[in-house]
Amino acid sequence: MPVLLVEDDRDLAGGLKHALQNEGFAVNHVTTGGAALAAIEADVPDMIILDIGLPDMDGLTVLKRLRVVHPALPVLLLTARSSLDDKVAGLDSGADDYLSKPFDMGELLARLRVLQRRLGTVKSNDISIGTLSLDTATRAVCVDGDPIELSRREYMLLKALMENAGRVQTREALETKLYSWGEEVASNAIEVHIHNLRKKLVPGFIKTVRGVGYVVG
Amino acid sequence: MKSIRTFLVVVLLATITLIVFISALRGYRSSMQQTELLFDVQLQDIAELLDELPVEPMAPIDVQAEPAREGAIAFQIWNAGFLRQRSANTPDTPIAPFELGYHDTNFSNHRWRVLARQDGKGEGWILVAERADIRFRLAEDVILKAVTPIIFGMPIAGLLIWFVVGYGMKPLRRLAGELSGKASDDLSPLSDDRSPAELTQVIQSTNDLLTRLAASFEREKRFAADAAHELRTPISVLKIHLHNLAHDLSSDNQNVARLSDGIERMNHLVEQILALYRVTPDQFMANFTSLDLYELARDVIGESYPAFAAKDQTVELTGSSSPMVGDRFALQTLLQNLLSNAGKYTPNGGEVLITVEPNAQGTTLTVEDSGPGIEPEEYERVFERFYRVGGDRHASGQPGCGLGLAIVRHIAQLHEAQITLQPSSFEHGLMVRVDFKSSASRVNPDHA
Repeated sequence: MPVLLVEDDRDLAGGLKHALQNEGFAVNHVTTGGAALAAIEADVPDMIILDIGLPDMDGLTVLKRLRVVHPALPVLLLTARSSLDDKVAGLDSGADDYLSKPFDMGELLARLRVLQRRLGTVKSNDISIGTLSLDTATRAVCVDGDPIELSRREYMLLKALMENAGRVQTREALETKLYSWGEEVASNAIEVHIHNLRKKLVPGFIKTVRGVGYVVG
Repeated sequence: MKSIRTFLVVVLLATITLIVFISALRGYRSSMQQTELLFDVQLQDIAELLDELPVEPMAPIDVQAEPAREGAIAFQIWNAGFLRQRSANTPDTPIAPFELGYHDTNFSNHRWRVLARQDGKGEGWILVAERADIRFRLAEDVILKAVTPIIFGMPIAGLLIWFVVGYGMKPLRRLAGELSGKASDDLSPLSDDRSPAELTQVIQSTNDLLTRLAASFEREKRFAADAAHELRTPISVLKIHLHNLAHDLSSDNQNVARLSDGIERMNHLVEQILALYRVTPDQFMANFTSLDLYELARDVIGESYPAFAAKDQTVELTGSSSPMVGDRFALQTLLQNLLSNAGKYTPNGGEVLITVEPNAQGTTLTVEDSGPGIEPEEYERVFERFYRVGGDRHASGQPGCGLGLAIVRHIAQLHEAQITLQPSSFEHGLMVRVDFKSSASRVNPDHA
């Protein structure tokens, strides 16, 4: 999968390129915003990893300009700033995700896989955690290879949790993923779905973080 | 000096009083001399008048027509050694020696000023006397009448000086008001229109100082941002290359794990120092907004969950929605540090309980753990920078830099929150309790 890496720090870019190539990405690396826009014009990548601090222009400016032509191109922002305002500004500018430096390579790869699946072009649509696997293309869920039946909402819930394995999903976040805006949601809807899911899955697969939300993996 | 105004009024009044007193004294003396002279001339006139009178021998007459001035004037007319005429208030003997000029003598129980004069023919003497005490009293009366208004004028002068000085000091008071009315983070220059020449220099110097201070604060802020960027990028580089190295070695390598721990530790230290720097009260430009501490705690716990999961710890949030006013970034850091401490010092499989509950005074946040807890005598010291319970060889074997609680305390101070340590509700362990006052009950409205 072709990925455009826009990062001015050559040491960091070199390491990132190497790591991404190990994971099977085809990485095109540029160091400036101008070069990034030129590279996108020449050959549209599948995904962009964009550093906010670039020597010639702000990463957010690059993002805004490319959004005009490519509104759906997945962009992951990287930044060494940590203020919340930057995060909000980044997501407001149309970034799909946001990661602050220094980050774990595992975290970056997990985020990229989510973006990849959203594209629907990934070869393997499988998400596997332990004995459970979920195919996002066929919507098939298997425990130890045996398929299990899930309702539409249960499937969406499980997918949301598995895509974000290891990260706690709050009830509010899950509600927005499962229900469209304005739809009537019973206050315990998520609890009910979780309860039903648990009965069909390996015990202890979905963990409750009381007062916070749910997590798998 | 308590007040320039009082000082000026007192000093001016004292100066005026002194000058008036000295000049009054001098004036009194010269006025006395003048009136003496005047009365002497009067005696001369009376003597001349008596000289023109026909001399009837020895029929004493009293010249005192007015009873009020009874006895104030006396005379004797002597001729050839005999008393020809005298006023009733004189004895039979000469009231003064027969020598030309003025004499001060005593008779009839008083002191008199006597003018001795020869009559027109040069045969006899005319002695005219005036009582010295009455002369003196009259002269004094005249002078006192002249001086009295000045004495009564002093309080009025004082009052006028008080008002004039007060009016003159108005620009100074305005400047003081403007300065004290400034918020602690307001570094905008002072207005110097309508200010007198003496203050313009002060205002200019103050403004120069404020400008330099603002620039310096801006530099400090930029430094924090720049340092963050400059330090985080190389750490990212280390992490990436370590990841690649681990990948290439493709086996569980002890050295890689140790290196990874070292990098994590450095990363943690850098983040904590930056956080400490950013939330130092005199550095921090707080951005207070309305937020829900309960929701914030939920988000932070979600983010910190992997660390708890790695130690198989149970983490739980209780309480309810707690809207308050605060700095989101700072409160996030506070929660992160408290959670990280709780997780670090609680053994595997332990429990961490976070409570966020609104109450009458504001919002209370508690973070409890089932770790070993802290001895009460250590409660105060743990907030010091770089202090760690038991020193670097902490029993938990956890790496740390001893900045976490110092940062928490800074942030609590920024929010005027009370922070207390006590044993947790678990069998053992520590509870950190932070009481945020609601903005309504906060004493200082500056931050609200």
